[in-house]
Amino acid sequence: MSENILSIKDLVIHYETQEEVVEAVNKINLDLNKGEILGLVGETGAGKTTTALGIMGLLPPKVGHVIQGNIFLEGEDLLKKSQREMRSIRGKKISMIFQDPMTALNPVKTVGDQIAEVIRLHERCSKAEALKKAQDMLAMVGIVPERYKEYPHQFSGGMKQRIVIAIALACEPELLIADEPTTALDVTIQAQILDMMRKLQKDKGTSMILITHDLGVVAEMCDHCAVMYGGEIVEYGTVEQIFDNPKHPYTKALYRSIPSLDQDVERLHVIPGMVSDPSNLPTYCTFYDRCEECNEECGKHDPWIVDIEPGHWAKCFRYTPEWSGTPVADPADTKGEGK
Amino acid sequence: MAENLLEVRNLKKYFSTPRGMLHAVDNVTFNIEKGKTIGVVGESGCGKSTLGKTLMRLHQPTSGEVMFKGTDIANLDLKEFKKKYRSNIQMIFQDPYASLDPRMSVLQLISEPIKVNNKNLSKQEVEKKAKEMMELVGLAKRLEMAYPHELDGGRRQRIGVARALSLNPDFIVCDEPVSALDVSIQAQILNLLQDLQKDRGLTYMFITHDMSVVKHISDDIAVMYLGQMIEKCPAKEIFKNTIHPYSQALLSAIPIPNVHHKQERMILKGELTSPIDPKPCCRFAARCPYATDKCLAEEPVLRELKPGHSVACHFAEKFVK
Repeated sequence: MSENILSIKDLVIHYETQEEVVEAVNKINLDLNKGEILGLVGETGAGKTTTALGIMGLLPPKVGHVIQGNIFLEGEDLLKKSQREMRSIRGKKISMIFQDPMTALNPVKTVGDQIAEVIRLHERCSKAEALKKAQDMLAMVGIVPERYKEYPHQFSGGMKQRIVIAIALACEPELLIADEPTTALDVTIQAQILDMMRKLQKDKGTSMILITHDLGVVAEMCDHCAVMYGGEIVEYGTVEQIFDNPKHPYTKALYRSIPSLDQDVERLHVIPGMVSDPSNLPTYCTFYDRCEECNEECGKHDPWIVDIEPGHWAKCFRYTPEWSGTPVADPADTKGEGK
Repeated sequence: MAENLLEVRNLKKYFSTPRGMLHAVDNVTFNIEKGKTIGVVGESGCGKSTLGKTLMRLHQPTSGEVMFKGTDIANLDLKEFKKKYRSNIQMIFQDPYASLDPRMSVLQLISEPIKVNNKNLSKQEVEKKAKEMMELVGLAKRLEMAYPHELDGGRRQRIGVARALSLNPDFIVCDEPVSALDVSIQAQILNLLQDLQKDRGLTYMFITHDMSVVKHISDDIAVMYLGQMIEKCPAKEIFKNTIHPYSQALLSAIPIPNVHHKQERMILKGELTSPIDPKPCCRFAARCPYATDKCLAEEPVLRELKPGHSVACHFAEKFVK
């Protein structure tokens, strides 16, 4: 019954420079239901931020290209919009919170003006009305509204992030993309910010994409979780499915490599090797070189998406019926059987 | 009884600012046993890194003593300290992207501290030693001539570890060595540090804000708040029996990667108060949900509640489970 707000189909994003082509995002498919929080997890270079920038239409000009695919926001393809149309969508329908609040704010404008700026851009209202609304926004994120006349340097890190959130939410967007919103903050401040984001999400029904590398944050905040590796989503499911029953070898290895608070482990598990170079991705499984559960077939073909249980899939040959030592069939064969 | 490698007594480091004295490290007293790891945790600005740097004499202590192998290294003449003790106490820095000279190759980077501290070694001997260090920390031979920008964060941090170890130190201050790294790389470096400790009997002071990392690697944990040590106990104890209200809040703030773990979260109001000329009261009182008049009037001292577990709180007994 839940409605899709965002739907990404076969999205491919490349960064092209004179020397090389970096395949940052490779054919990802993703759906986000209204009012839900989706966690996007992965290590540096997995393509999380590129995906977000792609949705926002903010890929670096000249270098970043969407090669193929569609991004539907409430049924409308964002990739077909002109720059001008995108400008009216950004801030109004989709907002983004960036990782580092210290650099996301303009140091020479008061925070009240910075919040009012977004409101004035998207809504017909007077300057005074916009400022009034800016003060309401400050109050909403827990900052004394009278401080709207102050400059960013007068606020602490946690408060700056609140201001960034206030700007992002000023026009009540339907979709909020938060790119590592708490990574630069201390845990106690992180707890405050996450608590506030959850409250806002409940009150306003905003849908969210939360990009993070912290599995703890995902467990606490999200409804669904997508694990990214080498520009692909390698596993997708509800947080319960992903945390209780991780299937993709990368997800499993990731769990074992983080020190746990409830269990004592002598040595941490190490994922052998390194993240594959996105300018030179293999034609077979991107995780093959580091995988501990593969067979030689994995080194020949690119795995396809395998359903594990309703709503939970992994991009791994292990879960195909053909697995169990016997060679895996050619993907071309099974695709013909209509999926 | 194990011997203490380092005994810190009433160590203070104040910085003078236009608005008054900034109490970065204020009256900190603790011991570190030989071959053990003490984890120092706290939020940014609580003085963890200053404490580490003051022990290394990168900052000059305002007052207090640091006994290292029977000598007070805090009050030693700086020149003498550098000559006799600098190679014994080394540091691994947080950001492997910023702490390495981009114009030096891996071999040069690792040779540098060896050369500086052993002036009588020949070039060949220095190189030989540097190559040994590379092997020790798991840097492949082919990387000898590589420059830092060619390497990923984990390898760069291995260079940092090799540089610190090349002088055969007894004590290493690790200042957030894994904070800038991805989790899979973080595990490699933590394992490496643990292996080296086992093989060489190293003593670590591990500064971090990541509680799960600190629990994994430490024997003892010290929690700092605004320049003071407010709780110190064995690592296992802190997660079972947290006493100080700030430590409780800090622990409850950590997101746990388990969907069935529903915890009562204690959300602290406000942020760190200013460490400039603090009033003689409990520094956590302004944010503490249990604060009373006594907390605002009197500064609590770190006292031993049970063997090995010390807390600086007037009402510590109340929180013992």
